[in-house]
Amino acid sequence: MRKTLLVSLALAVLALAFGSLVVAQDQVTIRLWGHGSSPAEEAALNAQIAAFEEAYPDIDVELLISPEYDTQLQAAFASGDYPEVFYVGQDKVDEFADAGVLAPAEDNVEDVDDIYPALVETFTYNGTFYCPAKDFSNLTLEYNIDMFDEAGVDYPTADWTWDDLRAASEQITEATGTPAFVVELNIDRWFAFYVQAGGTFYDEDGNFVFASEGENADAAVEAMEFFVGLFEDGLAVTPQDVGAGWAGEAFGQGAAAMTMEGNWIIQFLLDSYPDLNWASAELPAGPGGEGTLTFSECYGVAADNAHPEESWQLVNFLTNREGAMRVAEGGFGVMPARASSADAWLEARGEEYEPFVASSAYAVAPVLPPGFQEFRDTLTNGLVSAVEGNSTVEDAIEDAREVVEELLEE
Amino acid sequence: MTTAALPVHEQPPFWRIVRRILPIVSMTVLIIFALLQILPFVFTVANSFKCLPAIAAEPQAFIPVPPFGVSCVSPEGRVLPADATTGTVTFNPSTEGYQEVFAANLGRWAFNTAVYSVVIMLLRLAFDSLAGYALARLKFPGNRLIFFVILGTLMIPSVVLLIPRFIILRQLGWLNTYQGVIITLAADAFGIFLMKQFFESIPDEIEEAAQVDGANRFVMFFRIVLPMATPALTALAIFSFQGQWNNFMDALIIVGGNPSLYNLPLGLATLRGASGETLRWHQFLAGSVITTLPLAIIFFIFQRYFVEGVTYSGLKG
Amino acid sequence: MAQTATPTTALPVSRPVSTVASKKRQEAITGLTFIAPALIILLVFMVVPLIAAGYFSLTNWDGIRPLTRGIISEENPNGAYEFVGLENYERLLIREGSRQEGFFTALKNTIYYVLGVVPVQTFLALTLAVIVNQRFLKAKGFFRTAFYFPSITSSVVISLIFMWLFTSNGLVNLALKAIFPDYQQVTWLNDPNGIIHNFLGLFGITRRSVGDWASLEIASIRLWDWISGPSVTMLMIMILNTWTTTGTLMVIYLAALQNIPSHVYEAAYVDGANAWQIFRKITVPLLRPTTFFVVTIGLIGTFQVFDQIFVISNGGPADTTLTIAYLVYASGFTDTRMGQAAATAVLLFIIIFTFTLIQRRFVSERADV
Repeated sequence: MRKTLLVSLALAVLALAFGSLVVAQDQVTIRLWGHGSSPAEEAALNAQIAAFEEAYPDIDVELLISPEYDTQLQAAFASGDYPEVFYVGQDKVDEFADAGVLAPAEDNVEDVDDIYPALVETFTYNGTFYCPAKDFSNLTLEYNIDMFDEAGVDYPTADWTWDDLRAASEQITEATGTPAFVVELNIDRWFAFYVQAGGTFYDEDGNFVFASEGENADAAVEAMEFFVGLFEDGLAVTPQDVGAGWAGEAFGQGAAAMTMEGNWIIQFLLDSYPDLNWASAELPAGPGGEGTLTFSECYGVAADNAHPEESWQLVNFLTNREGAMRVAEGGFGVMPARASSADAWLEARGEEYEPFVASSAYAVAPVLPPGFQEFRDTLTNGLVSAVEGNSTVEDAIEDAREVVEELLEE
Repeated sequence: MTTAALPVHEQPPFWRIVRRILPIVSMTVLIIFALLQILPFVFTVANSFKCLPAIAAEPQAFIPVPPFGVSCVSPEGRVLPADATTGTVTFNPSTEGYQEVFAANLGRWAFNTAVYSVVIMLLRLAFDSLAGYALARLKFPGNRLIFFVILGTLMIPSVVLLIPRFIILRQLGWLNTYQGVIITLAADAFGIFLMKQFFESIPDEIEEAAQVDGANRFVMFFRIVLPMATPALTALAIFSFQGQWNNFMDALIIVGGNPSLYNLPLGLATLRGASGETLRWHQFLAGSVITTLPLAIIFFIFQRYFVEGVTYSGLKG
Repeated sequence: MAQTATPTTALPVSRPVSTVASKKRQEAITGLTFIAPALIILLVFMVVPLIAAGYFSLTNWDGIRPLTRGIISEENPNGAYEFVGLENYERLLIREGSRQEGFFTALKNTIYYVLGVVPVQTFLALTLAVIVNQRFLKAKGFFRTAFYFPSITSSVVISLIFMWLFTSNGLVNLALKAIFPDYQQVTWLNDPNGIIHNFLGLFGITRRSVGDWASLEIASIRLWDWISGPSVTMLMIMILNTWTTTGTLMVIYLAALQNIPSHVYEAAYVDGANAWQIFRKITVPLLRPTTFFVVTIGLIGTFQVFDQIFVISNGGPADTTLTIAYLVYASGFTDTRMGQAAATAVLLFIIIFTFTLIQRRFVSERADV
């Protein structure tokens, strides 16, 4: 008898918990959720919101900087009660769009033509554009000027190719006795070489075609042989090898003459290694031409949303031409998503960071289909074992391709 | 309890020497071991008083030397390099990490943390010991089943419970409220289990004597059983207080939507930069010191209740 | 078995027979009243979510789609999930593929972890507790606090500090290099080599030399890899965990040591027992309920190791620190396969439950001696 009581109690609470309840809201409050960034950037976002509230007096914006953004957002999605506007990373946009929690942009976004095409494409899923990027970063080659001078090697230029990178690495490694290039051994760096070798991620129909037959397979093998070769020949190391948490730190400590990181490295080096003498260049071109990776986030608007109109007003205010100019003039590490404000960013941040902007012309976002984490893991493990000599380059790519097939079957 | 086992004169000379040296050796080992336990915290404290570049360049420096209170940024707003403020083992302390933490909503976070920790601790002391006593000593239907259910709740990884719990709290209307945190966490399986095992290990002669005297169970529990349980209650109080003081995930799920209800771990986490950007170490370490220090002091005060050789009055002899 | 209320009446009291039944009823009511507050809280906030997790393990829910949308059906194509029966379990346990490989890799890593950490931390905790409980010890308060110190600091903070100590140019390697000039630098936190493999390697036993049987795959994992032992990085995390939980367990033992009435010891001294005999024959047996607690909590805690891996290694290098609890997180939140995550969690629940039952039998059988 007591058992039945317990069971019915449990069932009652369960029913209560998962029954649908709709909460009505009367006042127009737009919740905006994001994660922490640099203090200066956060202050600027608050200023933007204040300006928005002044321009739209009947809309309140409730900004929440989450301490553990992904987990908190996912719980909110699951409950059906989630913020009207929220940050969406490029690796999440497909999943969110697929789950139907993102409202399509349709014609709610102003001047889409002015946004970098690569960023529009990044936040497009199945032919539908969902959200305007708030800002973005590109990978470039950062180099230590003093170490280049010491080794008597010419500085990297925009015309560099893989051969130049390798030759310079050899000379510097020989001159200094330590590997010249520090880079993370994972696919978020290696993909840059894949793209430079002519590899693509999707075909015209939007099918994921990583390392598929023909050109892509050749590009994958070529890119991995070059990348792994740098490690095998002692020209490159991982940040962990030299006792650093990430490549920026290793580069800042002077452990290597070169690294490839995105815009986030700028403020880090200024803060932590203010006396480091460094500059950046565009990534070298490979056999398939120029290529780099872009990393970005957008302001997503909720699909289940009582105030879609006000939500888009906020998003537009933050990302339209004027909004992008405000981001640019703030001069943070990240760049505004609109070509029209690139010059303003350079002016505020410093002309020496021009390679970050120039790379936008050919940058692609390494966005994988939803649920492809296993592919990432397999390929990264493959890279590691190829470098350690435990597997061949061909096997590593073959393993990753098998996982792709398994995942695509689902 | 006494330590001398056999009278000294009965022992051979070799053992007499060993007996002399042993305390010195074991004391040395103990001190080395204790240092190993504390050393990381010493480095945390030392580095929390450094500028960001100095932490990166000379993390092992732990002797503060004048000038004190250096600024990490030059008057022109340029970050100063490490060698301006630090040497190999010495460094010029700076309070910028602490200033940044204090500039945030630290007072409110500390207040919330204290409220959550203290109220939850008191409720757990009551509820966990009542439940533990019932499971250990009282016969009632479903006793064993309930024990296994309670134990079972410890065995599932809590990450998988986050979303269901969030939804239940939302339906109860307790998201982003004080009672949401306090009631949800007012009893815990670990504490019940701890108290149950404790009650099982104390001799039951006293209770039986009291029972014969006709005292009812409630009176007996509060008058006789609970006072005997001081060491276990102390342990429970310490664990509960400390667990809630550091609680991140539960607080995130329950009050994550309202920054004015954040506790210290949540608040300090919002100060951390986005992934891919730098961890602001000086600030992070200052925050760690601020959260850890009260706990260390509280533990030092409470541990006095672990006094060796407690005797149960009335049972001796 | 359970020491629950075995009425070993020490005092020969004759009770009137008529009141026995009412006494029993009264005791039952008291028991239920005592346990009610805690039980209700745990039912609502632990058991119901647990049942929900069990329910999700039979679905393909991704953890993102709002549950308010209900079950997918023809009338409701935009639902949140559909039932897939035992498919999640089948994929983890039986069907060959990356899911099975992931689960059994995690199982292997977790078992090495548990078997390494639980005995060591239990033994260390008991030793430390007995030491700091000695009357002759000076500055007890200092030592108790010192030994408890790593437990005070939150696991995230302590993990970050540990990482900093063990980076390849960190203080540990610097110290080792100073002591042993020939020391070959070890990247402690990024070394996927198994320690048993390393040990066998000293005798020239490698995968190539042992023959073909080592390549035999059991549950998608090669026999040779099953016997790898924890990787060097995993060993580091094991040391970290032992170091931080020993303090907590020591406090539990300390509390329990107070319960041993001094007259028990005094009687033993009168009988001429020495310190070691007293520890072996009196202290350890009397601490058995506590040891059961410490080992059970240790098993449960180590099987669920998560925080340190989340901060330090994210399951790497080469999946050698991927534990089941981390796999639950990764599949539920990173891979957005909440159904799969729930099934993994349920399997972990079953594993822990089994281990607990086994050790319960083991401890209590010996307790009855």
